[in-house]
Amino acid sequence: MPEEQFSANNDVILDIQNVTKHFPGVTALSEVSFQVRRGEIHGLCGENGAGKSTLMKILAGVYPYGSYEGTILYDGRALKLENRSIRQATEEGIATVYQELTLVPTMTVGENIFLGREPVDNSIIVWDKLYAQTREILNKYKLDIPPHAIVRYLGVGKMQMVEIAKALSENAKVLILDEPTSALSEAEIEGLMEILRILKSHGVTCIYITHKIEEFFRITDSVTVLRDGKTVTTQPTKNLSVEKLVSFMVGREMKERFPQGNRQPGRVIFEVEDLHAEDPNETGRKILNGVSFDVRVGEILGIAGLMGSGRTELVTTVFGEYGKITHGHIRLEGRDLKINNARDAMRAGLSLVPEDRKGQGLVLIQSILKNISLPNLDKFASFFRIDGDAELVAASQQAKNLAIKAASLQAACDSLSGGNQQKVVIAKWLMSNPKVLIMDDPTRGVDVGAKYEIYKLMNELAEKGVSIIMISSELEEVLGMSDRIMVMHQGRSRGMLDITEATQEKIMALATGLV
Amino acid sequence: MATTDIKSVESSTDLSSDLLKRFRANIQTYAIILALLAIWAMFFAMTEGTYLSAQNFSNLFRQMTVTSFLAVGMVLVIVTGNIDLSVGKLAGFVSVVVAYFQARVWTIVLPDQGVLATTLSVLIGIGVGTAFGALQGYLISYLKVPSFIVTLGGLWMLTGGILLVTEGKTIPANQPSMAVISQAYFPPLWGWIIAAAIVGFLFFNMLNSRQRKRKYGFETSNLYLDILGTSLLSIMVLAYVFIVNQYNGLQVPVLLLAITAAIMTYVSNNTRFGRHAYAIGGNRDAARLSGISTRRNTFLIFVLMGFLCGVSGVVLASYVGYGTVAAGQGYELDAIASCILGGTSTLGGVGTIFGAMVGGLIMTSLSNGLQILNVQPAWQYVLKGIVLVLAVYADVYFKKNR
Repeated sequence: MPEEQFSANNDVILDIQNVTKHFPGVTALSEVSFQVRRGEIHGLCGENGAGKSTLMKILAGVYPYGSYEGTILYDGRALKLENRSIRQATEEGIATVYQELTLVPTMTVGENIFLGREPVDNSIIVWDKLYAQTREILNKYKLDIPPHAIVRYLGVGKMQMVEIAKALSENAKVLILDEPTSALSEAEIEGLMEILRILKSHGVTCIYITHKIEEFFRITDSVTVLRDGKTVTTQPTKNLSVEKLVSFMVGREMKERFPQGNRQPGRVIFEVEDLHAEDPNETGRKILNGVSFDVRVGEILGIAGLMGSGRTELVTTVFGEYGKITHGHIRLEGRDLKINNARDAMRAGLSLVPEDRKGQGLVLIQSILKNISLPNLDKFASFFRIDGDAELVAASQQAKNLAIKAASLQAACDSLSGGNQQKVVIAKWLMSNPKVLIMDDPTRGVDVGAKYEIYKLMNELAEKGVSIIMISSELEEVLGMSDRIMVMHQGRSRGMLDITEATQEKIMALATGLV
Repeated sequence: MATTDIKSVESSTDLSSDLLKRFRANIQTYAIILALLAIWAMFFAMTEGTYLSAQNFSNLFRQMTVTSFLAVGMVLVIVTGNIDLSVGKLAGFVSVVVAYFQARVWTIVLPDQGVLATTLSVLIGIGVGTAFGALQGYLISYLKVPSFIVTLGGLWMLTGGILLVTEGKTIPANQPSMAVISQAYFPPLWGWIIAAAIVGFLFFNMLNSRQRKRKYGFETSNLYLDILGTSLLSIMVLAYVFIVNQYNGLQVPVLLLAITAAIMTYVSNNTRFGRHAYAIGGNRDAARLSGISTRRNTFLIFVLMGFLCGVSGVVLASYVGYGTVAAGQGYELDAIASCILGGTSTLGGVGTIFGAMVGGLIMTSLSNGLQILNVQPAWQYVLKGIVLVLAVYADVYFKKNR
C-alpha cells in the first residue's frame, strides 16, 4: 500500500517496515516492523540475540542501506544511509549512545562533546566558543556538569550524561540509548530518567534498550518486543505488566523470575570484622571504614548499596587484590586469613566472579577451554607439563554443568553472548571448588533466560553447601535471591536485613544513609 | 586398525573437508610458509639456481641462527605485552666479553686448554646475558618502569659497555674449540641419524596423543590427516638433511637453534609458565584475578630473554670469530621483525615461536638473495622495510575481509 506508506504521518517519526537482515548462516532480523511516534520514549525489549543491536546498527548506519531488505521511513522519507555513513546518521538527527562509553577520558567535557567538529577560525580552534556552546547545551537539558571538567574524574553516571549531551549537541531528533543504566547507581538512574523526561518535553524521541524490565515501566510510553529476529508486539506500556512482557520476550509463561531454592543455611563459615582499608594508589584515602558481616554455610548473602558505596572495593579487598587493609579481621572457619593476592584467596577457598567480565573476568581472545582452566592449572599441571587431556575433561564437565552454548570449547570467548561469557567466568571459578563464592553483579548485561539459569545455579550451589556473597545493583534481584542482605553506605556496613523483613524502602533508607 | 578408528568417529571420515578445515584454522601459518617458498622461487629464478644450491641453502640457515635465538625469546616478551630493545646490544656485549676472555684471559690463565677455556667462556657469556636480563626484568616487573624505557636505557648502557670492553678495537676469539659452536658440521651419517630420530619422535608423538585422546573418550581427528601432516613434516626434515649433506653436513648452530625453539615451543604451549604469559598478554587484570603472579611471570620472561641473548652472543662470537665494536648492531629490530612477520601481535597475547622462526628465515632469505644479486646495501634496507610493512598490511587486510 504505497500511498499509505508515503502519506505524511506527522505522528510517526520512524516507520520500520519489513526489515530483514541476513548474516552468513543466520538471519538476524526477519520482517521486523513497528512504528515509533514522535516525542515518545519507545522501549525495545528482547533477549540477547533477539536482534535489538542489529536493528540499532541499521539505524545508526553501521549496516548501510542496501545491506538489508525492507524500508525505514524517517520523518516520512525513506532513510537511505550510504556506506561509511555513521556520520550521516548523526547529520540526519539519529544519534546513538552505546553501552560502552566512547569518551576520551583524558579530555574535558567540552572537548569530548565537540570532538571531531570543534568550532574553528582559520583552522584554529576557538576555545571560548567551544566552551560557551558546551555550557549552552548542558544548561538547556539541565545537566549539572562543569564544561572544563576532565571526563576521567567524573563518575560513570556523569559520563553517561556527557555522552547524551554529545549526541544532543548534534541536534538529534531521535536518540537511541543502548542499556544506558547498566553501570549506573539508583540515584544516577533517577537522574537519567529526569533527563529523559526533559528531552521528551523538548520533543526528542528516544529508543530505549535495556535488560532491566522495571525500567520499561518507569520511563517508556510504548514497548516493542523482539524475539528471534521477529517483532512479537508493540504495545503502549500501560497495557503491559512485567509478567506479560517477560512472556512476550521468552515466548512462554515465566512463572517466576527468581527460582525458589531449598536453601538451608547452617553455621557461620566466613566472617569479616570491622574491616578498614585504604586506596592502594593513594595513601590515606579510605575506601572501607568499618565493614562487618558473616556468611553461613549454604547461604546467599546479598550486598546492596549505591554505586560508590564500597561494595566492589569490599570484595576485591577481601580477595587481596585492591585495598590496603589497615584494621580488621577476615576469618574462614574460625581461622584468621592473611590474603595478599588472588592466589592466596583461592588457596584459602574463596572465588571471585568479578564485576567487569570483559575487563577482569575473561581473556577474550582466548578459547573457552583456556579461560576455564586458567585459575585451575595447578589441578592438571606439574612444573614441566600441563595434561591437556585432563584439562579438556574437566573443562568439558564444567561447560556441560553450566550449559554453556558454543560450537566447541575451542571457540574464542569474544564470539560468545554476554550470558554465555558470564557462564564461562562462573565455570572458571567453580572449578576450584570454593567454599565461599563471591559474585559481583553476576547478571549485569545478561538476558532473562540466562539470568534464570544463573539464579538456578546459585541455588544449587548453596544447597550443596557453598556460601555465596552476591553484590547486585538491582534491588529486585537482591530481594529475590538472598537469605540476608547487608546494606553498605560510604564504605561502612549500615545494616543486615533478614529476607523476611527486607523491603525496597528499608534497603534504600540504609543505602542512602537516612537511617 | 585404521577402519575401526574411522568408524568410531563419524565426523572425521571426509579427508578433503577435514583438510580444508585444518587449512582454514592455520591459514596464517600456511600463508607465511607460502610467502617463504615464493621468495625462494623468485631468487632461484633470478640467480639461475645459485640461490638454492646446497652451499647457499646451508649458509642461509646458518646466517639466521644468531638473530633467531633472540626472536625465540622476543616472541614471549611481545606476547606478554612488553618489548625488549636491548637484545641486539646484549648479544653483542656477550660476544665481546666472550672474545675478551678467549683472547686476553684464558691465554694467560689456562694456556693450551681449549675445551675448558671455551666451556668457561660459554658459561660466562650466558651468565652475563642472564644477569643483565634479570636486572632489566626486575626493573620492569617489580619497579614498574615500562619495558620500552628500561630496555632503551639498557641498549645505551650496553653500547657503552661494548666500547669499554673492546676499547674500540677488534678482539680475536677464533680458537678452534670456540669455532665449533657455529662453524662446525655433523658428518652426513650423524645428520641422518638425527633426522631419523626426529621422524621417529614425530610419529610416536602423533600416535601417542591419539591414544590418550581415545582413552579419555574424545573425538580424535582424522587419522589420514594426522598421518599426512606428520609425513609432510618428516619429509621436510629429511629433505633438509639431504640438502645440507650435499654441502658440509648438518650445521651445529642450526641444530642448537632447532632444539632451543622446540623446547621453548613446548614451554609456551604445555606449561603453566607459558600459559600464564599468554593470559597476561591477553588480559592482565583477568590474569591477575585468576591468581597469576604477573610480576613473577614477567620477571622470568626477561630472565629467559637474557639467557637467550647470552646464547645468541656466544654463537655470534663463534660465528664471526671476533668481538667487534658493531657487534649485535640492529639485531633487536631483526628479531622483532621476525616475530611480527611470524604473526605475533604487537598488542600482546598472540604469537608462536614457529611463526617467528619462519619470519626470521624470510628476513634472512631476503638479505641473502639480495646480496647474491649484488644489490646495494641501501636498497636491501629499503626492500626489507617494504616487505615488513606489506606483510603486516596483508595480514590486517585478510583479517578484515575474512
